[in-house]
Amino acid sequence: MMIEKGVVPLFGVSGWRKGVRPLFRCLLALLAAATLGAQTAPQKIVVGSPTLIADQRIPRDYTPDGRNVSPPLTWSQVPAGTKELAVICEDPDAGNPPPFTHWVVYKIPVTAKGLPEGLPIDPAAAMPAEIAGAIQGVSGFRRPIYRGPAPPPGKPHHYHFVVYALDVVLDLKPGLNRAELLAAIQGHIIGQGELVAIYER
Amino acid sequence: MTFISRRDLLKRAAVVGAAATASADVARAFQASDDVAPHGPAEAGHYAGAAHEMAAAREPLENLTATEADLLDAIVARLIPTDANGPGATEARAAHYIDRALGGALASSRQAYTAGLEALDRYSRSSRGKPFTALSATDQDSVLIDVETGAATGFPERSSVFFALVLNHTQQGTFGDPYYGGNANFVGWDLVGYPGVRTMVTAAEQQRLEKHELTPNHKSAYDYESFTKATASLSRQSSGREGA
Repeated sequence: MMIEKGVVPLFGVSGWRKGVRPLFRCLLALLAAATLGAQTAPQKIVVGSPTLIADQRIPRDYTPDGRNVSPPLTWSQVPAGTKELAVICEDPDAGNPPPFTHWVVYKIPVTAKGLPEGLPIDPAAAMPAEIAGAIQGVSGFRRPIYRGPAPPPGKPHHYHFVVYALDVVLDLKPGLNRAELLAAIQGHIIGQGELVAIYER
Repeated sequence: MTFISRRDLLKRAAVVGAAATASADVARAFQASDDVAPHGPAEAGHYAGAAHEMAAAREPLENLTATEADLLDAIVARLIPTDANGPGATEARAAHYIDRALGGALASSRQAYTAGLEALDRYSRSSRGKPFTALSATDQDSVLIDVETGAATGFPERSSVFFALVLNHTQQGTFGDPYYGGNANFVGWDLVGYPGVRTMVTAAEQQRLEKHELTPNHKSAYDYESFTKATASLSRQSSGREGA
């Protein structure tokens, strides 16, 4: 069929419009996020561990090269007004799209000063008394338990153990993954901190 | 900890129902191995007592080594565990099914079992410090999860490939027709409420079935002469081709 010459620049304009409109939307979204962020900047929580050391290699018992139990975590400087806590362990060096999620824990009582080592891998098993009521969400391995670093051979991966302090007790159901948890707690994060450790195979 | 959910079990029941009446391919494959011929359809009733006999002593293995069979027994016991829901792969004798099938329908997987079982035990020792059979049930589950997710090391392919193979065969050995050496005493079918192979269902039976009140008939497909004739015919065709 015949193609009119006039069609070509029209396509060009259309393409230009398509490219620019999302850009404006992104800018607006960024501005909105920045404004919101300024209003509710989470206070910094100090995250530690009896066995994990920041920026150091994760001991093998917290990986499938060892017993693959969940590591103990501690936290302090949790903001006043915190009602409950949540923890996510994620690896921004993996995942499609990143990060790859290794652990999701929520509904952690505000009385808890951390997480003990080795949370149960049997979903029917009770949580340790100090974190009674806490729920393990679904990781990137599609199971509601901790599974440690198993990066492909090559460069070291960074594992972020992120602690969130929430200003309300949310009605969070079992089975949430990282994205669902983050969506559910959005707007309620009044404190946040992390411990980053590394692992490579 | 389970590797197969209740919902999966119910879905599986439907598959088993279909497979029970249409497993001619598997049947034909088994006819190729010489152990099947002596087991006529009349023997199906003998499976009733098999689970109890197994507890006393292991009968001679057909394909696996004793070490491999011990390890496989331990694995299938965790994949479909014996628990509050009822009997599991151990009572169904899923490992016995796999041992037999590795000389017949699953012969192409024999090498994968040799390599995979060896890799799994080596991984268990290197990561948990003990052979798999010496670990607690929780630690066995932990190892199997790492094998399932592909996080375990030392396997010929990704460990998840071997896991999928064993899980598939364990399900076959638990929920398949007892004729093939698993689903002993029909425990798998009872577990999922499958009422047994039937060539006809009356209106009254259909109603009881829908109310989950139909008593399982504990019949194998091989308890029916029509099915046996069909597989025998297929077997003749198959051996005829092989001879040509």
